[in-house]
Amino acid sequence: MTTVSVKINGRAYGPVKVRDELTMNDFLRERLGLTGTKFGCGAGQCLSCAVIIDDPDGTSHTSPTCIVPAASFNGKSIRTVEGHATNGELTALQKSFIEHFAFQCGYCTAGFLNEGQVLLERLTKTPVTRADLEKTIADAFDGHLCRCTGYIKYHEAVRDVILADPGRYLT
Amino acid sequence: MKASRREFAKWVTATGIALSMSRLASANEPTFAARETLPGRQRWNPAAAGVGRIDGVAKVTGAKLYASDFRAADLPGWPAHTAHAMLIRTANATHLYEGIDLARLSGALKPSLVVTAADLTRIGARVPKFYSGDLFCPVGKTPLYLGQPVALLIYESFDDFDQARLALRNETLLKFGAETGPVVERGYGAFRFTRVAGASPDAPDVYSPVKDGWVSPGFFQDGGGPVWARLPVPTGAAYAKTATYGEQIRAELEADNPTLLVLDREFETQSIDPMFLEPECGLAWYDADRKNLELVLGVQSPYDAATSVATLLGSARANFKPAHINAHFAYIGGGFGGRDHTPFPLYVALAAMFFPGRPVRLAHDRYQQFQAGIKRHAFKMRTRMGIDRATGKISAFAADHVLDGGGLANFSASVAAVSANAAIGIYDVPKVDVTTVALHSRAVTAGSMRGYGTLQTMTALEVLIDEAASALAIDPIEFRRRNALKTGGRTMAGNTYDVVVRTPEILDRLEKHAIWRQRAEEKALGQRAGRIVGTGVACVTKDYGSGADSAMSSVEIDPKGRISIHCDHVEMGNGIGTALANRVAAHLGAVADEVAVAEVDRFSALGLVTSGDPYTIDQATQNLLQRDPRWVPTISVPTSSSIGAHVGTHSASEAARVIFRFGLWPAALELWGIASTDPRAAKWEAAHWEQGRLLMSDLRPLPLSEIATKAHARKGVTAAMAHSFSRWSWAKATFAIGEQEWTAEIDALAVRKGAGKFVRLDRANVQYPPTVFNRFGTSYTSLCGALVRVEIEHATGALRIARAYSVLECGRALTPEIVLGQAQGGFAMGVGYALLESLPLYEDGPGNGQWNLGQYLIARGSDLPLQGLEIEVLPPLPNDPPKGMAEVVMIPIVPALLNAIFDATGRRFRALPVTQQMLKGALA
Repeated sequence: MTTVSVKINGRAYGPVKVRDELTMNDFLRERLGLTGTKFGCGAGQCLSCAVIIDDPDGTSHTSPTCIVPAASFNGKSIRTVEGHATNGELTALQKSFIEHFAFQCGYCTAGFLNEGQVLLERLTKTPVTRADLEKTIADAFDGHLCRCTGYIKYHEAVRDVILADPGRYLT
Repeated sequence: MKASRREFAKWVTATGIALSMSRLASANEPTFAARETLPGRQRWNPAAAGVGRIDGVAKVTGAKLYASDFRAADLPGWPAHTAHAMLIRTANATHLYEGIDLARLSGALKPSLVVTAADLTRIGARVPKFYSGDLFCPVGKTPLYLGQPVALLIYESFDDFDQARLALRNETLLKFGAETGPVVERGYGAFRFTRVAGASPDAPDVYSPVKDGWVSPGFFQDGGGPVWARLPVPTGAAYAKTATYGEQIRAELEADNPTLLVLDREFETQSIDPMFLEPECGLAWYDADRKNLELVLGVQSPYDAATSVATLLGSARANFKPAHINAHFAYIGGGFGGRDHTPFPLYVALAAMFFPGRPVRLAHDRYQQFQAGIKRHAFKMRTRMGIDRATGKISAFAADHVLDGGGLANFSASVAAVSANAAIGIYDVPKVDVTTVALHSRAVTAGSMRGYGTLQTMTALEVLIDEAASALAIDPIEFRRRNALKTGGRTMAGNTYDVVVRTPEILDRLEKHAIWRQRAEEKALGQRAGRIVGTGVACVTKDYGSGADSAMSSVEIDPKGRISIHCDHVEMGNGIGTALANRVAAHLGAVADEVAVAEVDRFSALGLVTSGDPYTIDQATQNLLQRDPRWVPTISVPTSSSIGAHVGTHSASEAARVIFRFGLWPAALELWGIASTDPRAAKWEAAHWEQGRLLMSDLRPLPLSEIATKAHARKGVTAAMAHSFSRWSWAKATFAIGEQEWTAEIDALAVRKGAGKFVRLDRANVQYPPTVFNRFGTSYTSLCGALVRVEIEHATGALRIARAYSVLECGRALTPEIVLGQAQGGFAMGVGYALLESLPLYEDGPGNGQWNLGQYLIARGSDLPLQGLEIEVLPPLPNDPPKGMAEVVMIPIVPALLNAIFDATGRRFRALPVTQQMLKGALA
């Protein structure tokens, strides 16, 4: 058993003892009822389970939760799909996903949303050129699997958020 | 741990764990129905302004929506604690099963309960006919198929369950004895479709399935009847007569005839997994005191799931026979056919019945989903096609299809029939003879998957067409144009389509597109640059509907003009909720505030009854049964066969028309001060909505809310509930509404006046489509053509899709953005099928429980031309209804890719998938 404390969407949880093998995905879904983070493959291959980890240095990255023990999240601060909107106000990316009909069944949406949000935040610190934008988005999303959409509308949704505020995201 | 919610809180306190670790769900849980009714009146409705889906907000905020999201604590009135079940499945289907070694499960790994075949026998469970076969392999028998369940283990705590499933992933508890080889079973269905056209296009057919009936070879008959009674197979059919015509056609193809080009080719397609992202899952609770079984499921076929569970338990011993089954159906995380008539709900129900009083969750992980989920059929095909060298016209076609149906019958017979009827694609061929047989094997069960049967046979056909055009030195598009079936021409079943056949427009678009026009230039440019470039084309047609389709819907409007819609069809990403809202808005002037889908028990006011099989019923029986105004051929059908737009929204549209005609329109007349005797009172069809206001000539525009208030005040019709049925044509009936008669394409109707209750109206003059329509292969069809340009790296065989174009027609698109998204998604799935996805059928395949993503590849973004895919949707024809398109968009992508690979490499691949390794080999 390992004792875990973790901050989720700004709220502290724990300390709590968990089995060493308990995955973060099961910790979120079975222990906390945070089922917005999905279970897709259990092998780290589809990334429908990805959450955002906010690192102490101010950067963020995504991580699968289905193959990562909850214990390894001890001391970390994470964001899940439930934490993007503030007081019911959707983020620009959430709105863009809706406006572009980016998803269909929606089961992969949390993973794409988290990846897209990390990309947006990264670009504010490390902008790219317009010429590199499509590849940058493609590279960011490429590990995420979607069986419904063909990915195009996800790309268009995040691209349009960026192009709506080029001074913030592009060099 | 065995804890209620309160006990759980105590437990965590005692162990020093913060109370905040209890579930985030509060005591004020919304009901399941409230969660599934979207967007809900308190939330932003993006669909109201046409900028998104009814379910948009819920899906980007992680709302509990899918069956896999729910635990007992989320459901008001349920015990708080959830137990967890797992199915133990066999990876051995060639040896006698001798039992499960439970002694090896000790400590935390020891389940609270084990259910086996013996237990099902003991309680008197009855397997529904559709799912015939042992739900659990009994001791002493060879498993029927790889992945067949042998036991259900139930654990009271998640932690124990989790440890057990990890321990069992790579270890088997199952004991096997003597080798028997695989179980040999009768095939699931076999048909022969033979048509000989008349001497001229206008002349009647000499012989055809529509004219002379569908036939099966006798050795597949059981007691004189078909093995599976869903299909219209007459008993005692003249198989010999069909065979005689068929053999004549084959003899012509085999004759030494220099005027005829005859191609004789084989083609094989592989087994694949639908790979919907949400593995199958369910939650159930049996309250023994009330004899009430509660179910939470995510399926494409809710009515079948509920009725199948009722059949399973209907003859069970008293303690295992619920008095009530309350099934809740959730949004689903992808379906693609693979959640249509899956046996999974039966196991969910059994888990609860054997563990009474405690909610139990059964959820596949991905390994289990691969091991047990419904697969696409693998095909072996041999085709002979004769083309007149002088005219370039196809004169005769003969094919033989063998399908691997896997362990259970499921839809195999239907897939065999559908695939055979799709065998000549868009073409007009005067002589056709196709045999098809679906066989049992020890593979994982194959069943419904997007474009079933059609994908396989049209891929083989379009590759063959390309070869024929090449052999005759005719441009491939010109060859297709020359042979295309025209509107009014007969399908290979012998009927005509009920829709305009828009093949010429599709072919024109393909021919004029830059990808096609510049193909030689691009190939030459590629050669100069050291790239291998090829361009491929394909064009297909795909039916939408199954030949016995129905929908149930209710539409309600409140005094403020707010609209609610309920429907029995399922949201699986196809956008049915948004399509319902948009279609109703055309009649009622506003997008609904509330849409609830997958509801099958809300329409009791219609009092529907059913009997007989809509596919096999004879005319005399139908005539007799339809005298009962409550009888319908089928009450509710799966959301499948691309019927969402055409069928799924139809009843809601008709219900909305009733509300407008008998509720809103009279209210508007009163507001305008127009008397019922005024000629304008009869011109309700001339009125139209604009920005939420009803406009009529120069009369004052009326806001919907004002009209709705008046409709309620004068107790007009404010809600309607309708059922509709289609057998390649809609049933029609007449209803008396007040003093007036209303004839519409529905067969049951109930209305609500003011704030009253729904009242059923008995129909009159019902006209069901004749039962002979069951002999049609299809009469509803839509088309899609595709162009693909590929670039292949010589050294590695890596293929890149440089550009692609897909052109389709789907009548009136209810939600154009969703049509576009479906087309893009269909393209991706086509790429996966052509180049990436493959499952071995037997011991090395998914039935061994070791398959997952990583080993199984589906298309990623980097496999697709994200900036190079162009989709064009033809504008609808006047009075076009919404037509199905979710399947047709996938199909031409596969043969277009194969034809492009041939153009690039000179190698004609006749088996799928064409992998990078195979391409490398071809180029070596």
